[in-house]
Amino acid sequence: MKKRILGALFAAGVAAAAAPSRAADLTICAWGTITGPDALVNGMAYGTRDYFEFLNQFRGGIAGNKVNTLLLDGRYKLDEELKIYRRCVDQENAVYVNGWSTGSVNALKDQIGGDGVPFMTDSFASQVLDPEKLPYIFMAGPTYEQQMIIALRDLKQKGGKRVVLMHADNEYGRGPVSVVRQSGIIPKLGLELVDTVEFRYDAQDLTGQLLRVKSRNPDMVYIQSSAPQALVTLRDAAKVGLPARLFIGNMYDISPTIPEQLGPAAEGFRAIQIYAQFGEEIPAMKDIEAFKAKNKIAKEDIYYMKGWLQGTAMSAAIGNAIQKSGGKVPSDLKAFRKLVRDEMEALRDVNTGGITPPLNYADHQGSTQARIAEIKDGKYAVAGEWIDAR
Amino acid sequence: MGTRRLLLALAVAAVLIALSLLLGRFGAYLVRAVAIAGIGALSLNLLIGYCGQISFAQGALLGVGAYVAGNLGNAGVDGVLALLGAGVATAAIGALIGLPALRLRGLYFAIATLAAQAILEYLFKMLEPFTGGVSGLVIRQPAFFGVPVASDQVSAAVSVLVLLIAWLALTRLTRTNLGRAFLVVRESEVVAKGMGIDVARTKAWAFAISGFVAGIAGGLIGFAARLASPEAFTLDLSADYIAMIIVGGLGSWAGPLVGAAFVVLLPEAIQRVGEAFDIANLLSALRELAFGLLIILFLIFEPRGLSSLLPRLRWAQPRRRGAAPSLGEPGGAAVATKGGERP
Repeated sequence: MKKRILGALFAAGVAAAAAPSRAADLTICAWGTITGPDALVNGMAYGTRDYFEFLNQFRGGIAGNKVNTLLLDGRYKLDEELKIYRRCVDQENAVYVNGWSTGSVNALKDQIGGDGVPFMTDSFASQVLDPEKLPYIFMAGPTYEQQMIIALRDLKQKGGKRVVLMHADNEYGRGPVSVVRQSGIIPKLGLELVDTVEFRYDAQDLTGQLLRVKSRNPDMVYIQSSAPQALVTLRDAAKVGLPARLFIGNMYDISPTIPEQLGPAAEGFRAIQIYAQFGEEIPAMKDIEAFKAKNKIAKEDIYYMKGWLQGTAMSAAIGNAIQKSGGKVPSDLKAFRKLVRDEMEALRDVNTGGITPPLNYADHQGSTQARIAEIKDGKYAVAGEWIDAR
Repeated sequence: MGTRRLLLALAVAAVLIALSLLLGRFGAYLVRAVAIAGIGALSLNLLIGYCGQISFAQGALLGVGAYVAGNLGNAGVDGVLALLGAGVATAAIGALIGLPALRLRGLYFAIATLAAQAILEYLFKMLEPFTGGVSGLVIRQPAFFGVPVASDQVSAAVSVLVLLIAWLALTRLTRTNLGRAFLVVRESEVVAKGMGIDVARTKAWAFAISGFVAGIAGGLIGFAARLASPEAFTLDLSADYIAMIIVGGLGSWAGPLVGAAFVVLLPEAIQRVGEAFDIANLLSALRELAFGLLIILFLIFEPRGLSSLLPRLRWAQPRRRGAAPSLGEPGGAAVATKGGERP
């Protein structure tokens, strides 16, 4: 009997796979790492979903049309993400898709163009940003390379010269470092690259590497990796006598875990901050607070703000497309997707409620500006003005 | 295999191929994923279930297949030849991995295959001209016999066809002298030697044939994903394939297919059940736990796997026909040694 019940449940689940989910005026499909190796930053997946829910609850949807937002777990597994993409495009008939990993967008980039579906990528990899060759793919901020350039410009402004680049041994680590090195931007800025240090993505001890870094006497060490690796780096840097103020990381290195776990050893560590922090005094927080009063927010962090911003941009394009279609969602999904793409590219000076400077999507990035945040008294605080990577 | 069973297999494959062409892209993707996993599981089942050589390097072997087929396809080689090329290259690597089996047995050999998995993963990252390094190799749309395989539906139909061919070939193989030698080696290498079987050669054949099939499965994975990257062929993937043959039923020919369907479709089933009750995110977090728990339960309560349940259903034959014949059974080796115990 137990086997039959198990079998029936399994069959019911698979059978349900054949049917699309809830009916609504229009569907947005998003996937993130709800469970998986980079779940630490999955606030951005919740942020996007919540923004569309906010529109449903407080603004009557988009131009009067209710939005069904589907958030799925890609688990940071390529096969899972490729499967979800097909579900979003083919079964859910999503008008806009928001996808997660660099690997999946890279694998899907031709299909996204072939399907003609607007795609907001959570990745900041430059290889998936090309308005001409990849006209349907958009992102929400400066690429990893541009984030590095922002840090280099900050160093130049402050009179520093000697740079060390540290990066993980995966695509996320190696790719941007390679692009920046080959671009020649470091000598062009009058800086000197004194060393490049690679480490294992899951390294638990970097003492040896940091002794080498110390021997180079750098003015700045840029870490192209995420918070867990930054944590190990800063811990071992303190061991060998390198102060945290020498180190700067990308936007995924803003994590309360770093000051919480390292205490004084983290003081002075900096990271690229593209979005406003959760809780900052900006107009967008009023909307978020209003939403929070009626709903539970899964992650109250800077990545949630990124997701909220993505929702803002996506919904602006969808709203404009609906307006151009006479205020109704067109029945021809293919034509509607194309229109949304065109409207996305046409977005200019979109007010983000202070999360970022106004967005301009002609270049498919929205914004190429960022500020630098610094850990002071155990908290990240903005330490300068907006710097444009272009 | 009897004529009736052969006809049944052909009929099921024909229905699946027709279904693949009629399904939407998502449904076709699921069929393709199950078919490719089925091919990979058949290959591992030959090695572990029939020859008794435990391997944790299946994920990396699939990777070799994906990279070879991807490179050949990108160079303009027809998809069929690219898959065969992937099979040959992976057979060679598989035989190489099997070399320690000539000196090591059991747990020690399993550890050697773990090392092989790690070495291959490292090479995937380092051999940039061939693998694209950590970025991975972007693979162009394949063409079979000059016809581009553009849609998920056609790709699924091709995968089911390859699965059928692999299944027929491997089931036939186990009825040959070599297949029977696999079984004797699995049961006892000492007895095999006593019977005049060249144990080293038999093992080498098992690794090569298993590698060939794994290479084809890997090639199909590469063509389907259009990207071969080191992160896709890790030890986790090896563990998934071991789970498939354990859940499905080690040492049977229906088992790997049932196991592949189970492992590929279970996450989707859990997801949909979660969505139906609005607890999808909660179930997502518990999915790995549930998956691990299910495997443990299978090992305890149904060690012969899901496929052993089939004959117990009313409409099925009372005897477990799909299972690997044990020594002493018709179609098995000529002499019995341990009463046909499963590994």
